[in-house]
Amino acid sequence: MKIIIKIIMLSGLLFASAHAENTPTTVGEAPAKSPAQAQELDRDSVCTNCHDENENKPILAIYQTAHGNKADTRTPSCQSCHGESEKHLSSKSEAPDVIFGSKKGAFAPNDAKEQNTTCLTCHDNDQKRTHWQGSAHQAADVACTSCHVSHAAHDKVRDKKTQPGVCFTCHNDQRAQVRKFSHHPIAEGKVACADCHNPHGSAGPKLLAKNTVTETCYTCHAEKRGPYLWEHQPVTEDCTNCHTPHGSNITPLLKSRAPFLCQECHDGPHRSINPVAGDAAGIQGGITSPTLPSENFTGRACMNCHSLVHGSNHPAGALLQR
Amino acid sequence: MKIRNEEMKVSVLALAVHFALLLTVAFPLSAHADEDEADALKHFINSVEFGALYSSQDSAKFGEYSGLEERGFYGLGGFDVRGGKGYDSEDSALRWKLNGADLGTTSRTLGGSVSDQGKWKLNLGYDELRHNITDTYQTPLQGDTGGNNFNLPENFGTINSAVTPANNPPPSTRALNPNQLFDFHTEKEYTTRRNGSVGTSYSFTPQLTGQIDYNHLDQSGAKLIGTGSQGGIDLLGGSTGRAEAVNIIMNPTNYTTDNVNAALNWVGDKGHLTGGYYGSIFHDDYNSLSWQSAQASGASACSGTNCYVNNNMSTAPSNSLHQANLTGGYAFTPVTKLAGGFSYGYNWQNDSYAPVSILQVRGNTPNPYNMMQQNGLPASSLNGQVETIHGDLKLTNQSIKDLTLSAGYKINERNNNSDSDTYNYINIANDSYTGVNTPYSNRKMQYEAAAAYRLTKGQSLTLAYEHENLKRWCNGVVGSAQCVASPSSDEDKIDLTYRLKAFENVNFNAGYIYSNRRADLDDIYLANSGNYAVRTPATSSSVLNGGNFQGFVAYPYASRNQNMGKAGVNWQVTQKLDLGLNGRYAYDDYDATLGVQNGQSAGVNVDATYSYTENNSVSAYWSWQNGQRNLRSGGTPAPAAFTVPTGIWTNNLEDNSNAVGLLTRHGGLLNGKLEIIGDFSYSLDESTYSTQVPYDPACGSTTGASALTCGTLSPINNQLISLKLTGNYKVHKNGKISLAYIYQKLNSNDYFYNGTQFGYTPSRVMPTGLQEQDYTVNVVALSYNYAFQ
Repeated sequence: MKIIIKIIMLSGLLFASAHAENTPTTVGEAPAKSPAQAQELDRDSVCTNCHDENENKPILAIYQTAHGNKADTRTPSCQSCHGESEKHLSSKSEAPDVIFGSKKGAFAPNDAKEQNTTCLTCHDNDQKRTHWQGSAHQAADVACTSCHVSHAAHDKVRDKKTQPGVCFTCHNDQRAQVRKFSHHPIAEGKVACADCHNPHGSAGPKLLAKNTVTETCYTCHAEKRGPYLWEHQPVTEDCTNCHTPHGSNITPLLKSRAPFLCQECHDGPHRSINPVAGDAAGIQGGITSPTLPSENFTGRACMNCHSLVHGSNHPAGALLQR
Repeated sequence: MKIRNEEMKVSVLALAVHFALLLTVAFPLSAHADEDEADALKHFINSVEFGALYSSQDSAKFGEYSGLEERGFYGLGGFDVRGGKGYDSEDSALRWKLNGADLGTTSRTLGGSVSDQGKWKLNLGYDELRHNITDTYQTPLQGDTGGNNFNLPENFGTINSAVTPANNPPPSTRALNPNQLFDFHTEKEYTTRRNGSVGTSYSFTPQLTGQIDYNHLDQSGAKLIGTGSQGGIDLLGGSTGRAEAVNIIMNPTNYTTDNVNAALNWVGDKGHLTGGYYGSIFHDDYNSLSWQSAQASGASACSGTNCYVNNNMSTAPSNSLHQANLTGGYAFTPVTKLAGGFSYGYNWQNDSYAPVSILQVRGNTPNPYNMMQQNGLPASSLNGQVETIHGDLKLTNQSIKDLTLSAGYKINERNNNSDSDTYNYINIANDSYTGVNTPYSNRKMQYEAAAAYRLTKGQSLTLAYEHENLKRWCNGVVGSAQCVASPSSDEDKIDLTYRLKAFENVNFNAGYIYSNRRADLDDIYLANSGNYAVRTPATSSSVLNGGNFQGFVAYPYASRNQNMGKAGVNWQVTQKLDLGLNGRYAYDDYDATLGVQNGQSAGVNVDATYSYTENNSVSAYWSWQNGQRNLRSGGTPAPAAFTVPTGIWTNNLEDNSNAVGLLTRHGGLLNGKLEIIGDFSYSLDESTYSTQVPYDPACGSTTGASALTCGTLSPINNQLISLKLTGNYKVHKNGKISLAYIYQKLNSNDYFYNGTQFGYTPSRVMPTGLQEQDYTVNVVALSYNYAFQ
């Protein structure tokens, strides 16, 4: 009997100790908190007493993020963002002072301006958001929480692999374009929208992170920057004169293909004056003419010879052939 | 027995005490279990993943960015480990993390950071990307991918590339002899980017922080490039090298780019200011690329190395950019704010020119062959200098209730101060050529004003106006020639947007943009596209109008009207069901007798999402896009100078795209252990060119010369089907097994490849055998993910 009792006790202790190993040692075992921290945690507990681990949404996961790092004196409490919400504390049927989001849940969210004012209390006066006021997203009533999720351990928009999916929620055209035959590796998670754009506002066109289109492209494609001895004028002004950066049916990210692309700006000299049809498709295009296709229009067409379209640095390269 | 009963009583008491002791341990365990669940949410979760993947087919296109370009097995590995003080730590906010993904492929990433939040942070990163371009390129040239010197095998022999193929006895580009065909070998074309980065930030005071970020990008590999061979080179056997003979060769991308960003940020009560430096140093290992061409102007008995023309061309020059930046904002009052910035950049390039004198084969006179005419080379490098200037200011005011006003100004300037000189050389057609380089500069100034008014609580109207002035010029061009078609243009744009929250769950928006661009044109401008030695008006195709016929305007420089309209509606039908519909249409009209006449684009998107629980959902979308461009041109027969051509033809480009997607996520199966994710997408993209030649009565025939010049080309057609099914099964509390199946099929039809096939090339284009990039790939992946705290 005694042996049985000991076995039971030993099992119980083993069970308890095993569980203790898996239990984070902080809760219930942490050393005494500083008064300021204790006060912050007490303020949070006003909310987390109800909004606990049983919530469908991961409310408590905020403590894994920068917003929940209490040792940083700037870290907000629940009420810092959601307001004191006295009415809500009195009755669950009353809404908190500030509700974030863009979709109606138990309560309708506050309008974007009110939500953003809360976030900008801390995140204004920041070089990344210098041009937020009057920017395209601000003018379109986009709330910070339309893109950001602060209560989740993983904020998708801040991860290169998952960021495009957040942007595509509204930017549907680009969602289709990034899957085209020729594309930047956006869907593959190697290039994110924020590598070129600053969604918080910028001085550049189309919310580009840099001041101009060419400056943005040169960040990764510095080999095009030059300056070259022989420049191609549209290249020096705007890469999108020829390219469409989100995706194209014509490689490499071109709006059109030679010779037709070149003929949009050139009409003579040489072969840019000539109309082209079957000549571009070659013999397999069904042409039965005794006149065979020309290197001016087949394959790379003009760029069979005029291949240095971004510029040439060769003393004998004025025609961008060398 | 009494003793026994007493013993029993003692035993029962002992049991009771023991049981009570057990309860003190066991009962907190159940309360502890709730705390465990809460703690699991509040503390970091680490994960390690490893597994294997099998891909069923070799395909450079399927593995374009994924690293799965070859059939076979790949290792899978990834980790995300975090640590540091917990959320309620009292002594420090120190946290760190290490992560890695796709470790078994050529698109792997590694990263790490450590920070004392609010005080300092250190980041490290490594990212690798291999861009697979093609695995079907064939060439007889010998030389490594990434090298800059390509030679033909000594016994390759000559190729007759005379104009009329019927008169060409083999070997010709379409009829290579067996010995030449044997020399062709396949080279995989790819470029690899390896990017290492380090960054740090430090808060000197709560108002003042500094940060420095550095990244080193190392590129290797090659991309294909077209080349034209030099004419006028004598070869043994009584032939000369074929001028403008085309060989597609490997252009090396042996680059490094070092970028530095340093900034000091100050934040005050009402404003903030950031002063920074951006530096970018680009280095190309090579400044030239050389290759041999075996194509001769006629039949030749030449054999061996004396049958080739030696050529060279330039590669991207090494260059640098140093830029100083200043940005900031100030709130005069809570409703009046000013934001702005200024930057100055200096871009410099002084790479030595590629060699202009090339040793040719024995027998050529003179030897070495000099591409420059006598005294034709004015300098050994460009000493290229470009200044870039940017400035912007924006004032916003919300002092009037429900009204937001803004006004702004922006300037961007590229001022090219590179020297302009005369370069007298021999072009690849073996003609004397005089080139004058024209360093292009431009300045864009924009003025904007906007008003956004809230009509009612859910209704707003925004009106914006923008004026843009653009100037173009060249500094110090030899002979002071005008170098641009449009020295200046002005554009006015009006943008009207209306938003309505019709009901609590319905959001509607509509917008209209109109812009009008007026461009000044100078059709006697002299660009470097023409031969400056031939500038007489009597020559109709001279350099006037940049070498174009009169009446032709390149579309970026033409006057233009633009009309754009868009509308969209989002409806949250229930808490679980969302629907979205939006569309847009744009029409551009150009003022040009010849050139792009007009263009239009349209798009429609439909989205639906049904989230039947918090973590389970089905969503679907359909996107349609259409674009058209109409071009008008001419020049046959060639008219007199300053006369618009009469032989007019037109070309139409039409792009059509359809994309459909379906995504489903279903968890909670098998007692919450199984989650299934499905992702299906289909896209079809078609680009079609159609040319009409009204002056040719035979247009429309499938035979004869007319078939080459008019009609509709077969569409460039790409159809992609992609299906990904993933099952995640939780084998125990911390571990799950993931099984994924990917099916992807690409059908690609593109006439581009016709002219590269053996036996079908133009008479002076060497074949490469490049193939369309169809594929059908099946991928199976199995991995184990272990999560722990």
